[in-house]
Amino acid sequence: MDKETVRRVAMLARLELSEEEIESFTKDLGEILEHFSMLDELQDLDDYGFNPVEVIDVLRDDEPHQEIPAEELLRDMDTYEDYVRGPRLS
Amino acid sequence: MKIGLEIHVQLPTRSKMFCACPTDGVTPNSAICPTCLGMPGARPSLNRAALEMGLRLAKLYDCKIPERTWFSRKTYFYPDLAKHFQVTQYDNPVGEYGVFDFRGKPIRIRRVHLEEDPGRIKRVGRQGEEMSLVDYNRSGIPLVEIVTEPDLSNPAEARQFLSDMLTEIRHTIGLSDENEQSVRVDCNISVGIERVEVKNVTGLRNMERALKYELVRQTKMLRSKKPIVRETRRFDEERKVTLPARKKEFEEDYGYIGEPDLGVYNIRALAESLDEKESPLARAKRLCEEYGMAEGTSRQLINTSMGLCDLFEEMAAAAGTKASLYLVTDVISSNWSKIKDLLDEDMRAEIIEVARLYSDASVNDIEARRRLRALFSEDEVAETGSAVRGDPKLLEDAVEKAVTANPGIFEDYAKNDRAANRLIGDVINSTKGAFSSQEIVLKVKERLERDL
Amino acid sequence: MSSALSISKIRELNEEYGMFYSIGDGKGLDGSRFHFSAKDNLTTKDHPTTAGSKILSNYRPPFDAAAVERLREAGGVLLGKTSMDEFGFGTFSVNSAFEVPRNPYDRDRSCGGSSGGAACAAALIDGHLALGVSTGGSISCPAAFCGVFGFTPTYGRVSRYGLLDYGNSLDKIGMLAADCATIAELFPLIAGADERDPTSCGHPPMGECRIPASIGIPSESIKGLPPGIRKSFDEAVTKLKDDMGIEVRTLEMPMFRYAQPAYYIIATSEASTNLARYGGMRYGARGKDLGLHFDRYFTSVRSENFGAEAKRRILLGTFTRMVGLRDRYYLRALQVRQAVIEEYRRAFKDVDAVLTPTMPFIAPRFNEVAGMSALEIYLADHLTIPPNLSGMPHLNIPCGYVEGMPVGMQLVADHWDEGCLLQAGMEWGKLFERIRPEAMI
Repeated sequence: MDKETVRRVAMLARLELSEEEIESFTKDLGEILEHFSMLDELQDLDDYGFNPVEVIDVLRDDEPHQEIPAEELLRDMDTYEDYVRGPRLS
Repeated sequence: MKIGLEIHVQLPTRSKMFCACPTDGVTPNSAICPTCLGMPGARPSLNRAALEMGLRLAKLYDCKIPERTWFSRKTYFYPDLAKHFQVTQYDNPVGEYGVFDFRGKPIRIRRVHLEEDPGRIKRVGRQGEEMSLVDYNRSGIPLVEIVTEPDLSNPAEARQFLSDMLTEIRHTIGLSDENEQSVRVDCNISVGIERVEVKNVTGLRNMERALKYELVRQTKMLRSKKPIVRETRRFDEERKVTLPARKKEFEEDYGYIGEPDLGVYNIRALAESLDEKESPLARAKRLCEEYGMAEGTSRQLINTSMGLCDLFEEMAAAAGTKASLYLVTDVISSNWSKIKDLLDEDMRAEIIEVARLYSDASVNDIEARRRLRALFSEDEVAETGSAVRGDPKLLEDAVEKAVTANPGIFEDYAKNDRAANRLIGDVINSTKGAFSSQEIVLKVKERLERDL
Repeated sequence: MSSALSISKIRELNEEYGMFYSIGDGKGLDGSRFHFSAKDNLTTKDHPTTAGSKILSNYRPPFDAAAVERLREAGGVLLGKTSMDEFGFGTFSVNSAFEVPRNPYDRDRSCGGSSGGAACAAALIDGHLALGVSTGGSISCPAAFCGVFGFTPTYGRVSRYGLLDYGNSLDKIGMLAADCATIAELFPLIAGADERDPTSCGHPPMGECRIPASIGIPSESIKGLPPGIRKSFDEAVTKLKDDMGIEVRTLEMPMFRYAQPAYYIIATSEASTNLARYGGMRYGARGKDLGLHFDRYFTSVRSENFGAEAKRRILLGTFTRMVGLRDRYYLRALQVRQAVIEEYRRAFKDVDAVLTPTMPFIAPRFNEVAGMSALEIYLADHLTIPPNLSGMPHLNIPCGYVEGMPVGMQLVADHWDEGCLLQAGMEWGKLFERIRPEAMI
């Protein structure tokens, strides 16, 4: 783990880090990844799932339904003529 | 030139892909809920209809359907993306390695996958400092993405291909023409070696234009020995040119991970259980083979409606191909928009009865058409005319009357024999179906030639 | 049952212990069936929900979490929202933008985390039920440090609708209480399928339960324990054998050591995507200037409002799923999880439950916590991680005291077999004498 990598990862995650933060995160993540490298000992695993228990074929019928009124959902948002305001695009 | 397409089509479900919000919200931000707004604590739940539509399409292209499928998170930051990740498919999509028979040329389908649409952005403010206004009604609408291999060789072919493809899709998942306008395509084009991607082109016409523009641009570059750079471009609909997409500060890394809120789906079994409808193009092919129909005719039928094809096949079974085809391609297809709403069991039986009478010459073509029109048009009188069928004297009188009513008809006919149509039309109207159109045409021409 | 309790007493207590981030008006408390609290990462319409993060300052969700809703429907009164590590990122509840809870037995010590406020409330308020959430040990750890029962059910047993996600394939909503009977009585209220969370659907119901007849202790779990903890644990095991008639065996579980890296990779990979949504547009902290380019805008809101541990885990999780690294870290971690599950399954062929100490030390002082490195803190979870990674239900059982501070043991059962844990906990409660904290109300 080096500072350049931390900078790039931070950029991907939309985080701006101070020089001190970069310094300390580089050290922490380096130690942590060093510890993670024990996983390299395990080469012959293949089975995996995205949940620890089986979650299979849970489907919903195509029935439209709205529970919470839109005004309530938009209550704390910054809106303009029903649109949600966002930042500049270019 | 090699062209590959990534086609995005909104699936015509009633509710969204991962939440129950309706898909027909009009007022901005009216069809929204915590899930499609990406609110903390809300979760997705997959719409069965969306999964089934995806599988029907995978089957249509004869894709390899895996035993199980699942969804993945594609992370990137943009104001229209509520969670800042899109739930899409990365590994094990609903279909892979398919093929589309494009008029005898196999176009390979790399994959078919499902994903959610982001919200819609409205840009406001001066160019260069546009602010975003977001409507999340579109957020979470189900999309299917169909990715082809670069097997298409020119813009016209690509357009025709996409048009055929949409005919099939429309039928397979019940897409309306309206949805069809919203088809979005990412095009990959390479004239030389390097591949250029034109992102997010809307509709058939724009796609063809964008491809043509790229063809010309890349050919010019090659001629003048300028290097073509591998890049992403966008299509400017107003100026009809492709432009380099704005360079991002850095390349995104989507960092795909499995979506742990949904689980997995056993889709092979589900796909097998879905009834298979004949696709429109397969049907066109069969109509040609089975009924000796011309290719153009069969395409006209499938493009009008599968319902029309059904009606034709029923008529043909009862009244034979020739009579049925005549009536279907003539009066029935031109009135299809009216007929389709009225077509109940009784109407069907009556139409078939008319076809049968016409087929065994109990009524002639004019009478058959008149009777059909009477079935679905209010201003047509249902009663038959009072003329005695087949009396040759009556026909001669009618022709004479028409000649008198059209002074100068002989001069006109001498210049152009199409002028005869005026007389023919009058005689058809005045004899109210007592004579067939062939008889009338023959008599009128005879009369005109005689005095020329 | 709660006639003597009042909101003003709770407020006073909270001044000293900081277990609540937000306290309700206590409406309906008199004569109510029971009172409960919710960890602040469970949504509540009538309380702000921040998950301990500045980025959600003053956020008021438009809906109640399923677990909260079900307890309210059953006649429970929500006292308030309990303080926690930001988004559950921590072992000592010190990584909060707001309140840091203090240990009921020594205010200079940590409650453990990340459900620290919940454990503190369960220890100090008589008859209280605290809803907690565990991803890698966030119920067991604070329950052990605060001397209460901490119950983490099987993954998927309780709907996560309304839970602010940390790691969606690991997060489990559970309960903490001083008396295991409170949990046994109220847990069925929140268990079971909820169509708003597909992962809660299609599982077997809670069945008939008996105390486990046999227990296995992985030899890996007792290596290198401080003598005090070891002594306390050994005495408890003797009691299990002699007083409860449980057969005790030693097990080898060599996959245990890999559980920890696998856990941190999966948890942070998922967390870094879950936290992507916080960008100052739709809820929580806002940026000052929408005139900024969206990348700058999101970056500024996130950098200003996420705490250091949240940033660390976002970085780690983003890294481990990057192109070229994903297979080595993320996918490998998923495979390790599967292998750990299989190791448990093998163990459950021989024994009904697996027992370990809960934490390898007693609740540390705040100044000790401050001196620990990130890796040292991550390593402190090594006993609570295996069951959490594999979605196995587990229960922290208070089992003794060292230097006046509580020590816990952790009983783990197979998927869907949580009933036997609660039975064992209730039986143990009859044999074990709890030292009540002085400040208890």
